[in-house]
Amino acid sequence: MKEQLTVSRNFKVVTIILICTGVFTFIFGLILQPQLTWANYLIVNYYFLSLAMGGLFFFVIQNISQSGWASGFQRISEAMMSYIPFAAVFFLLLFFGLKDIYSWAHKEIVDIDPLLKHKSVFLNAPFFMIRMVVYFTLWIVFAVKLRKISLKTDLLDSSDASGIMKLFRRTEKYSKVFIFILAITFSLSAFEWIMSIDVRWYSAIFALKNIVAAFLHGVSVLTLIIFILYKIGYFPFLNKYHMHDFARYIFMLSIVWGYFWFAQFMIIWYGNIPEETGYYYLRWQTGWKILFFCEIGLNWALPFMLLLPVKASRSKPVIFVVIVFLIIGQYIDLFVQVVPGITGLSKFGWIEAGLFLGYAGLFALIVANALSKAKIIPVNHPYLEESLEHRF
Amino acid sequence: MDRIFKIGVFDEEEKFLSSIKSLQEQNFLIYDVFTPYPIHEVFHLLKRKSRLPTAAYFFGLFGIISTLAFLYYTSVLNWPVVYGGKPFNSFPSFIVVTIILTILTVTIASLALFSYRSKLFPGRENTIFDPRATDDKFVIVVETGAMDITSIEKAGKLMNELGAVEIIEKEFGKVNA
Repeated sequence: MKEQLTVSRNFKVVTIILICTGVFTFIFGLILQPQLTWANYLIVNYYFLSLAMGGLFFFVIQNISQSGWASGFQRISEAMMSYIPFAAVFFLLLFFGLKDIYSWAHKEIVDIDPLLKHKSVFLNAPFFMIRMVVYFTLWIVFAVKLRKISLKTDLLDSSDASGIMKLFRRTEKYSKVFIFILAITFSLSAFEWIMSIDVRWYSAIFALKNIVAAFLHGVSVLTLIIFILYKIGYFPFLNKYHMHDFARYIFMLSIVWGYFWFAQFMIIWYGNIPEETGYYYLRWQTGWKILFFCEIGLNWALPFMLLLPVKASRSKPVIFVVIVFLIIGQYIDLFVQVVPGITGLSKFGWIEAGLFLGYAGLFALIVANALSKAKIIPVNHPYLEESLEHRF
Repeated sequence: MDRIFKIGVFDEEEKFLSSIKSLQEQNFLIYDVFTPYPIHEVFHLLKRKSRLPTAAYFFGLFGIISTLAFLYYTSVLNWPVVYGGKPFNSFPSFIVVTIILTILTVTIASLALFSYRSKLFPGRENTIFDPRATDDKFVIVVETGAMDITSIEKAGKLMNELGAVEIIEKEFGKVNA
């Protein structure tokens, strides 16, 4: 097995073509349908940020719980983390689209609405951007720190046990601090970037649902990357127990996601308060209703049913199918959360497809690039042996 | 005729597991093992198969269907009451009750089935191979059955070599385990 991943020329060409598609779609979209383009810009940006955050979350939890089984795959979560700085740049560009996405960014609407006026202390353009900068700074600082420690461990001599353990403890310490920061800032960011589109509506469980969604889809994409790398000859030690553990992660998180989704829905449905039901009323109109049910079906029901038997959760084809469902499911989830409040039209056209492909290409290129920069297996990780021989 | 058992008591999990492997390699019949906590590997080594998960799945299915049928019968057919302006057959409000009752059904039914299969019931007298089997020790019970006396001694010797803290030989007329 090769120690380091080499990004092939073909892969680079394909991803760059995809990125160009995305750029052209964005430019033409801005000229033709600016509002729809900005809405989709927010969806795909949040989508790929949530994947990166999911990878980061997985990494941090593995460190805190000191679980060894996934330590061989540590580099993949690190590679996914390396997308966060790029996401920061794209999110800051959102400044130019604020008026197209958020109704609270319009002064004339805020002036006549006492509720929005009350909220404008928190929801105003300058403060919104400042908070965004703060969140991204925190995430990038910690992500870079964790990556740096991990790369430093590789350089140590493998017999230097005390040095390795020192760095390992430091990773754990940073992870412990970071998980709190992540939980708080990522919740707030979900409230601000997604929930404030429907500015008159609020739900306390919304952020929790979005964190779990990010974690769920981050882990599924991480598993997908492992499968792809296994196919081209890396990770020869991948066995059914690793797959079972990843499948369990997906299974468990999809149940938690479904639980939160239903909790949010049922409280509002039962309470029947007009301010709250307005959100779901919009999503029960023709054109949206089918997506609304697809969302729970793809993100919860199908993964739950498919991964229930032990044999299925150890088989690569089944897990692969579940991951594909989840990748589509997360897009529909965000689509249903974002678009009804902005344009209100449920249609999937060239703007949606082009932007998604562009970002997918960019994400793939960045992850592959980051993977190729370091040894694909963290050779000096203290728990590596446990990961290679993982069984239960 | 009394059945004779050779019982090995172990302190550590590793020694216990390697003893099971060596005993199996030499074709000794392992009657039963006792561990202070569940060890997956023992399950694989003894080649035991459990159909309890499959049964639990069907209990769950039964729980869901019967709970939903019960709720439908009570709130739509038998005693329809309008509350909160909701329709009689309002599926979202049934779900919480269904989840809870399904879990309860699965738990109780699986416990009952497990007890039935392993013949556990109140007042049953258990054969106690070694009192420490329910404590912090790992215990292997080897059935000597048709073997001659030298083989029995060999099994004991093998376990002793592999780190058993104690080897006991016991005879039982009737075994409940």
